[in-house]
Amino acid sequence: MDSNLAAGLAMIGAIGPGIGLGIGFSKAMEALGRNPDAAGTIFVPYILGLALTEAIGIYCFVVALILIFT
Amino acid sequence: MPAEQAKLIHVALKAERLFNIGPFEVTNSMIGALIASVILLAAAWYFSRSSAIVPNRLQSLIELPIELLTGIVASSTSRWRGYVSLVVGLFLMILVANWLGLLPGVGTIGLKGQAGEIVPFVRPAAADLNFTLGLAIISFVVFVWWAIRLHGPIGYLKELAGEPKVLAPLMFPIHLISELSRLVSLSMRLFGNVFAGEVLLATMLALTTAVAFTLPLALFVPGVFLGLELLFGAVQALVFALLTMAYITLAIAEHQEGHAADADHGENVATDPSHSTPAPA
Repeated sequence: MDSNLAAGLAMIGAIGPGIGLGIGFSKAMEALGRNPDAAGTIFVPYILGLALTEAIGIYCFVVALILIFT
Repeated sequence: MPAEQAKLIHVALKAERLFNIGPFEVTNSMIGALIASVILLAAAWYFSRSSAIVPNRLQSLIELPIELLTGIVASSTSRWRGYVSLVVGLFLMILVANWLGLLPGVGTIGLKGQAGEIVPFVRPAAADLNFTLGLAIISFVVFVWWAIRLHGPIGYLKELAGEPKVLAPLMFPIHLISELSRLVSLSMRLFGNVFAGEVLLATMLALTTAVAFTLPLALFVPGVFLGLELLFGAVQALVFALLTMAYITLAIAEHQEGHAADADHGENVATDPSHSTPAPA
């Protein structure tokens, strides 16, 4: 029971990456709106930034899973 | 409530043992990785024999994503031929392993375990940390090897020590940890995503079939998430491959900054799309 509560608390850490992903995506769309031709150039750094941001959320998730299932 | 949930879906964090070959334990995720390898080898054998200059429909379908990825890798550095096969290989392996996990029967057909749960014959390979850590170690060894090859061992250590030599005792451990954290972040990202996908699919199916009232939803709600997992599997494979490429690019680009006098590889650092990649957390 305690570990389930701890897992829930661990997922609070997913708020940060959520905000970060939103900012990143909005900036990418903004850049795309200003210069639609740059789609190819934006794509790779965007995907990489997305992955690096998302990793923080995944860490929280892995911690939560370990708390629940072990 | 937790006990009831545990009955609703069975989730194993680590891969389960199927049988032993001598002292060697064979787990179900190893079967998954083996099947993915066999599929890739068979595809490689088939397409290397039957490929034509003018591709037929199947060949152009296969060639399209590979050409796209090769194009991205080719725009990273001038030494791209040295690592393009690794990047594309990682992408294909993870892609096939991820999509294999979405086939019906994978994770549902298996032996009966001790507690009455199902021990599936096949588990998606990337839902086991051993597989993703193995791939991350390959990637790690390759980008450190590129840095050492272009820099020399002394140059690599100098790069780790940082620029103001006074701060070296402080910066060296920080740089060392940031190098090692790439290993952790690469493997944990892939494992977390694929494992989360598996749990998500199981949960959606369990939730919609738990009560008779929501049973009609079970016809299409898990399907939506299956489609989503199809997308995530491809994105994660792409992310792993592109991050490997970015790390190798950084290892090469550091060399170019350190030896700006070398004219033969002072090429497009500024226009390099992955050069502005932030350092990993």
